[in-house]
Amino acid sequence: MPNRPFFDNLGTILLLAIVNTLFNTICIGLTLWGFSHTSLYGGTHFGMLPCFVFAALISAVDPVAVLATFTEIHVNDMLYIVVFGESLLNDAVSVVLYRMFDSFAKIGQENLIASDIILGCLSFFVVSLGGVLIGIIFGVVACFTTKFTEHTPVLEPLIILVYAYLAYLTSEMVSVSGILAITFCGMVMKQYVSFNISKKSDATTEYVLKMLSSIMETIIFMFMGLSTVSDHHSWNTGFVLITLLSCLLFRVIGIAIFANLANCWRLLELTRIDMLIMSYGGLRGAIAFALALILDETKIPRKKEFVTATIAVVFFTVFVQGITIGPLVKCLNVRRKQIEEPTMSAKLTNRMMDHVMTCLEEISGSGGSNSLRDKCRNLDRNYFKRWLLRETPQEKMDIKLLQTFKKINMQSAMKVHDTSKGLVPAPSSSAIHTSVSGSNLRPESTFANFSQLLAANLPEQTVPDLMFFESQGAEQYRDDAQMHHFLDTNLYRARPRAAIHLRSQDETAGSGEANNRFEKSYHHRNHIYIPSRMDKEQTHGRKSGKTGSSGMTRSGASKTALATQAHDNTHSPRHSASSVPKQQHTKGKSVSPIPHKKKQEEQSQEQLGKTRSKSPTLSTDQPLKPPLPANEVHQPSPPISIRIDDEETDVAMGGATAAERICPWRRSSVPDASRSTSASPVNDPSNSVQASSSNVTDPHIHPGPLTSAGFSGSYNKSSEYMGEYATTTKPEEHLQRPHIRDLFANQSRIPDEKQENDTDTVSDDSTTHL
Amino acid sequence: MGSNASIMLQQEDLQNICQQTGFTTKQVQRLYSRFKTLDKRDCGFLTREDLLCIPEVNINPLGERLIDVIMNDYGENNKINFKQFIFLLAKFRHGKVKASTTEFNTRECKLRFLFDMYDRNHDMKIDRNELLEVLKMMVGGNIHEEQIATIADHTISELDKDGDKSITFEEFCKTLERIDADDKMSMKFLS
Repeated sequence: MPNRPFFDNLGTILLLAIVNTLFNTICIGLTLWGFSHTSLYGGTHFGMLPCFVFAALISAVDPVAVLATFTEIHVNDMLYIVVFGESLLNDAVSVVLYRMFDSFAKIGQENLIASDIILGCLSFFVVSLGGVLIGIIFGVVACFTTKFTEHTPVLEPLIILVYAYLAYLTSEMVSVSGILAITFCGMVMKQYVSFNISKKSDATTEYVLKMLSSIMETIIFMFMGLSTVSDHHSWNTGFVLITLLSCLLFRVIGIAIFANLANCWRLLELTRIDMLIMSYGGLRGAIAFALALILDETKIPRKKEFVTATIAVVFFTVFVQGITIGPLVKCLNVRRKQIEEPTMSAKLTNRMMDHVMTCLEEISGSGGSNSLRDKCRNLDRNYFKRWLLRETPQEKMDIKLLQTFKKINMQSAMKVHDTSKGLVPAPSSSAIHTSVSGSNLRPESTFANFSQLLAANLPEQTVPDLMFFESQGAEQYRDDAQMHHFLDTNLYRARPRAAIHLRSQDETAGSGEANNRFEKSYHHRNHIYIPSRMDKEQTHGRKSGKTGSSGMTRSGASKTALATQAHDNTHSPRHSASSVPKQQHTKGKSVSPIPHKKKQEEQSQEQLGKTRSKSPTLSTDQPLKPPLPANEVHQPSPPISIRIDDEETDVAMGGATAAERICPWRRSSVPDASRSTSASPVNDPSNSVQASSSNVTDPHIHPGPLTSAGFSGSYNKSSEYMGEYATTTKPEEHLQRPHIRDLFANQSRIPDEKQENDTDTVSDDSTTHL
Repeated sequence: MGSNASIMLQQEDLQNICQQTGFTTKQVQRLYSRFKTLDKRDCGFLTREDLLCIPEVNINPLGERLIDVIMNDYGENNKINFKQFIFLLAKFRHGKVKASTTEFNTRECKLRFLFDMYDRNHDMKIDRNELLEVLKMMVGGNIHEEQIATIADHTISELDKDGDKSITFEEFCKTLERIDADDKMSMKFLS
């Protein structure tokens, strides 16, 4: 469940969940009771309170059915979350109403007094808030518990399951809303527990829970189906028809009223089509059925009719509405999650629009619910994370990364060993390089060369390039796909805008998680917020593991700068002219007619996204320094000199393919075999965040607001984000002018593996997919 | 108002602005207070530095470029006064309903703005270099020149219908047919 749209739309969701359900209940109850005075029911009489009981249980939208249906049809997040959120939160209302009317029925209609009704209303607050509270408490306790399970990772999935179930049981025990408890418990856990537990536990929990939930849903519906063919039915045509019609009708009316009401203060209005989908998507499910079954027949004489009608309604909504909602969505052109973007230019422009609009929104101050969110985030950062997360997550992360990288390298080494078929001897490729020079490239014409490029893989190393063998045809499509993928992995993601962005979800479905993932990783480091940049400089020289990484990140950035400088040697005079007042450039500005005055924060933000460092490449940087213009050298040199001392802290990882896993847009092949990619694991993510901002020893730097580092978290690469863990492009690569095909080829290969093993853990951004 | 806008917003100016841009008075007032907040030195206009002080703009990959566009196209001499500010923002009003579309916030205007973000030399074309610049800004530093260049070329070849290796405004608009630019490039102005 996407958290952020949930909280953005919380007002609407609550309005719908509570008020709409209430409205539906009352209307349906009155209708049913009203019609019992007519002859439509064939003479059977339904009392008022039983009617209301039945109305209470039938008007609740069922989260299970909604979830199952809406995930299939891929509507945009906002619509999905409104319906799904409503179905989750209306549990409180429906439970309260059900119990209230049930107990009223037990008391008997004639014995009711006013205070009963008032108490019934009060009990709503108790039930819902109690459920939420219990859920949160258990979530917090679970987080706290996982703080100490470092050495017993086996327990972690169990803890999660047990606490969630405990939350449910406890709340049912005290007669508050169990569903709300478990929902909020899950939300709390998602924020904190996933940091604490190990990667394996996280994956385990995710898969186990998915499996369990599928099983349970199946069982529920199977049970319903089985009981349909039992003989406890009493079919009353009139009643069933009236129920069905009134359910549909009042849902539509209710949505129409309340969605329009919500539109008054919503940033992004719900259109008529949205409302139609919302009302059409109000599926009833197993909860209604279960509640109908447990009615007490002595007090509610018409139980069998109720059960029958419930089953009829559930079947109708699930089958008829559930099946037709897909085609309806398509034909009404409801905005859906667009999974892929058709053209490169569209993708670029899309991203550009995102960036521009976030910027403009900020300028115009109409950032929506941002301030509240920021406050929550601050509260979160200062208090909760400190108490609930384990200590020093960075160091832990580094160790984990080290281990993971060792494993990666082992595996890639094995792979290289095994696939001797794919190894291509690499002749000198310089001749072919020149034919594919980047400057005057018409893509179509050069694609013909790519097969040659593939054949002449890379000078020093043979890399198993299985794609070459697999598909000989449709090269152009493949290259397109690769380029697309390359763009996907490398374009900055804009901070999600509160207002419009939620509607047209035309980023990949994983955007939410990607942002969350980065925010998770960001939050890890954030609580050790380095106050001053100069301190960072000194601490770099001191400590071992952390320093190595931080030094590396800075040197990484500098190396990138060097690399680009080296590459753009021909344009260096321009560079130097334009770069003197600025900080190191991470991008070649060779073609820029206007010298861009990048400020430090923007620089740091870029580097945040891409600080990569490889300690071994350090040694190769030294020879590069001479060709550079002098005024650029002085900037990178201090970090490098510090950095050299820490080389021994790096663990030799070896294996070019490890690098390519980490940063798929980089070619793996480069004379990396001997080099360790250790820089990445030891690369301290927190330092990368703040080191990048502290990257400056440069007196020229305009002292911008310190908080930019805090904001820089919101920018990240797309779902393959792994900024801290990736490695720099080494200068040699630029010099060799790698093959275009290879530029993109490796990316498409590696991320396939990544897609399979998609987990949400922080540390796994780069290392998950093994 | 001139380049030094008066600090208080005059009533007739307000009416004028509302009429031209289609904002409501409350929205204009809110934007005015935002303008004043940004204008730290209280001199009636915003400069580059003021805008760059906004953290989000600072770290946005296209923040600098956006400020360039704002300052050059909408302000003068590195200053932008409130009127220009609000005319700029008027472009991004949501023009879905016919009644709320003025000459400012047509779809074409929005796309034009985007086009201007690329086309800094105002020759009505996006050529390879301009595209390359923007691409580099959006992608970040750790990319090979060739990769970016290839992408840029590929993009141009996708869009370029007349084969002159540059993208005109019409070609640009054609790309955005599928994307609902109007929605994406609109902001909700709180009143």
